[in-house]
Amino acid sequence: MNYFPQTDGTHAAKRWPASATATVLLWISRTVLSLLVLYPLLQAVKASGMVSGPDADAVLFRPGSLLLLEMFRVGAPALGAALRTALLLSAIAVLTQLLPLSVALDLLLDDGPSLPERFRRALRLFPRFVGLGGVAIAVQAALLLLASLLSAGLKSPLQSGDERLATLAPLFLLVLALVGCGWVGCVLDVARATLVRTEQTFREALVSALICLREEPLAVAAGGFPVAAASAFAYLCCVWLMARLDLAHASPQSLAFSFAAHQGAVLFTIAWRVRWLRQAIALSARSNG
Amino acid sequence: MRRATLDLWLGLLFTSLSVALLRQIAAPSVRPVPLADPPNAEFPAPAMSADKVASYEIHATFDADQHRIAGREVIRFVNASRAPVSELWFHLYLNAFKNDKTLFLRSPFGAGRSGDKARAYGYVDVKKLTLVGEEANDLWTARDRHSPEDPDDETDIRVPLPTPVEPGATLTLALDFEDQMPEIVERTGYAGSFHFFGQWFPKLARLEPDGKFTHFAFHAQSEFYADFGDYDVQLDVPSGYRVGATGVLAHESESKGRRQLEYRAENVHDFAWTAWDRFESRTERVAGTEVTLLYPPHQERNAEAELASVRFALPHFNRKYGAYPYPTLTVVHPPESAGNAGGMEYPQLITTGGPWYSALGGAHAIDVVTTHELGHQWFYGLLASDEHASPFLDEGFNSYAEADALEAQYGAGSVFDGFGLTVSSTALNRVFSAARAGDEEVGQGAAEFATFRSMGALVYSRTAVALATVERAYGRSRFQRAFGIYTRSFRFKHPTWQDFVASTVGELDAQAVTALRAAFFGRGTVDYLVRDISNASVTPAAGVFDGPNGRENKKPELPNAASQYASRAVIFRHGTLQLPVDIQLGFEDGTKQLRHWDGLGNTYPVDNVGPSRLVSVYVDPEERILIDDDRSNNWVSTQGGSAPRCFDQLLFAVQAAFGALGP
Repeated sequence: MNYFPQTDGTHAAKRWPASATATVLLWISRTVLSLLVLYPLLQAVKASGMVSGPDADAVLFRPGSLLLLEMFRVGAPALGAALRTALLLSAIAVLTQLLPLSVALDLLLDDGPSLPERFRRALRLFPRFVGLGGVAIAVQAALLLLASLLSAGLKSPLQSGDERLATLAPLFLLVLALVGCGWVGCVLDVARATLVRTEQTFREALVSALICLREEPLAVAAGGFPVAAASAFAYLCCVWLMARLDLAHASPQSLAFSFAAHQGAVLFTIAWRVRWLRQAIALSARSNG
Repeated sequence: MRRATLDLWLGLLFTSLSVALLRQIAAPSVRPVPLADPPNAEFPAPAMSADKVASYEIHATFDADQHRIAGREVIRFVNASRAPVSELWFHLYLNAFKNDKTLFLRSPFGAGRSGDKARAYGYVDVKKLTLVGEEANDLWTARDRHSPEDPDDETDIRVPLPTPVEPGATLTLALDFEDQMPEIVERTGYAGSFHFFGQWFPKLARLEPDGKFTHFAFHAQSEFYADFGDYDVQLDVPSGYRVGATGVLAHESESKGRRQLEYRAENVHDFAWTAWDRFESRTERVAGTEVTLLYPPHQERNAEAELASVRFALPHFNRKYGAYPYPTLTVVHPPESAGNAGGMEYPQLITTGGPWYSALGGAHAIDVVTTHELGHQWFYGLLASDEHASPFLDEGFNSYAEADALEAQYGAGSVFDGFGLTVSSTALNRVFSAARAGDEEVGQGAAEFATFRSMGALVYSRTAVALATVERAYGRSRFQRAFGIYTRSFRFKHPTWQDFVASTVGELDAQAVTALRAAFFGRGTVDYLVRDISNASVTPAAGVFDGPNGRENKKPELPNAASQYASRAVIFRHGTLQLPVDIQLGFEDGTKQLRHWDGLGNTYPVDNVGPSRLVSVYVDPEERILIDDDRSNNWVSTQGGSAPRCFDQLLFAVQAAFGALGP
């Protein structure tokens, strides 16, 4: 299958419904999988006994956090176990999320096949998606390790100098490594787009993405930037809003508003991700036809 | 290319917006709610001067390269006791760092405050001790060679006197000594060119009224106890070094690349100083006291936070515990490499600490340490209780005062306030206190605690929580008045627990004092709990009744016809502390009732007959009984168990995490 996405405005207008479908699909899948991860944590919170009073969990959000800290103290064993379970479930959820991601990329390619057909295709591509993810994680881990080793190496030379430099140098290296990890993620998305677009082998998709990076490094590097920045902005907006919403005394309407704001922010970030995925498809098409 | 440029601009736009938002979010969100001030009733006037038992004149020459001091001191000792004194006890606490076998360094580490071992050792050598006018007779040769019953320790040394000193008589001693400072393990020593001199000179132990000295070897968990006196200390230091010290700088001169500084301090029981060639300095007058701040380069933000804390806390403590009587206060922020010198108190000098970014974000770490150490000027400095035998009278009482001051300044966010989350000092103290409740006696000696962690939780946190509980349960103004009387009446008098109890007479209920005594000396704990609720329909009595008019059969009414309900819940009190507590009852129709239990007895049945079913019971809804060691059982509700806020927040957090780290 070869597909050459148009890049003019007509195409953008035509693709909007597919983008919307992809956004909703990714939001639903992320929410469902988050609920799965959330379940043991919520059960542990309830098991602590701290939400069984007449004010339910409002007591945890009182100023000063006296009862929030109490929940962490009395519920520590159950919360610890729940956290470990949640981490395990998260790993499963991350793998599972590859399927809706593959379907979303497919949706952004064309309007043709039905959703079940796209899922079948996603299942077919799943092992290659896992392989690509594994390579990306290995490269990202190597970047973080390198930053950590450099930080450790800098520790003693910097110790006798300016205290700020001794703190900021490792932080700067970490940020550099994280930016690098982000770029690796962008290349990974281009490879995924290539995979969905052409159904090449995992190795061919990877090579194709690297060629794309060589040919259009700025487009690949810059593509993920607004996604990360917009996501950070949306999440911070929510934190800002929550800081002003007195959760300890919030009415049911305020709680509903809080929930809507949170989910709106998540949808917003996913919409930006979908925008980038469309670009990744276009970049993939341009680089290897 | 055009697309990439657009992406870059969009990214930059959102980044700028995010940074602006982050600044908003990190800023404090709550303002303190002013608490009722203590009553304006007159407090007793605090003493203006101490009984001066041990006064020192010290000449010290500092060799910065070798980290050594050559010193000579003249001690004016007055036998203020009722009995003749035939021996002296000297604390040579720098010897705690002499080798790995000293009491301090052989302590199982983790037991000490810093948990560090020595890397470069330090010690004090006494060269000669004579009576002034009898220089030929070196008293030091007759000394005991080591601390009592401890051949490996030389921090607590007895020196017999040739003739006893009669009550009221004065003894003037001259003593030559040399210090080798250690690399900082805890509080004293050097790190690079930074030097801090605490416990650096041979010092007399505290003479009790019965003529005996309270003396003790330097234990890793212990602090200090000494007599008041006047200090006149002349320091000779390299010219490039900036110095901060106890007392007032009375004279300063410079010659041949060295500076000579003379510090005088009256009515104090210790003298500490610091010297560093990289100190920055700020001076400001706060509440009539000249406050000098010494801090490392590039720490202006921390310095400002420290000054802001002093600006608030100094007048606050003056008002509550009696005016600070000294003309100066020096606040030292050690460099990060000398962090173990931080967080300590000496008369007229405190050390704070923390990395350069400590005052960023919503954390009040700088405020916490500054306020805590400043509070010690009253509890350690002016009251001067025995910190070895009763550390809770200093650290615990001061932790209560610190939390009170911080919450007056910052409200519920006194430890952290940012990103929509607030953490108070009280909440933090409570969680540490409850974690170790009943493990050990709070009121025991410092060296008797199993570990420093245990001591930290019980002496600092549990004491503060017990005091705050009594304050909340019996009335803030009454408790604070009792506390204010105590801090004023016993200024310069080395008070004990009994002295504190005496000062509460007429202010606090006997039940409150009993509870405090049990909390401090009886491993006292309390846990109020409620298990379940029962409701029964109240219907007219049914059955066969023989009355004056003959037998009558009354049929039972259907339960749903009832118009009244008899409701019952039983509150249980576990543990030994008896404290009054409020109980909030919630009914099906939304009404609430507040009941009060004096805390006596082990159970308290709450009965109610009314038109609505009892659906919830909440013990201590105002969070007064902070020392209640498990608050998760303080309530039952037939409608509880939901967690909509947790669900919303946690779901968002997981979704955001998947967004950042997921595929």
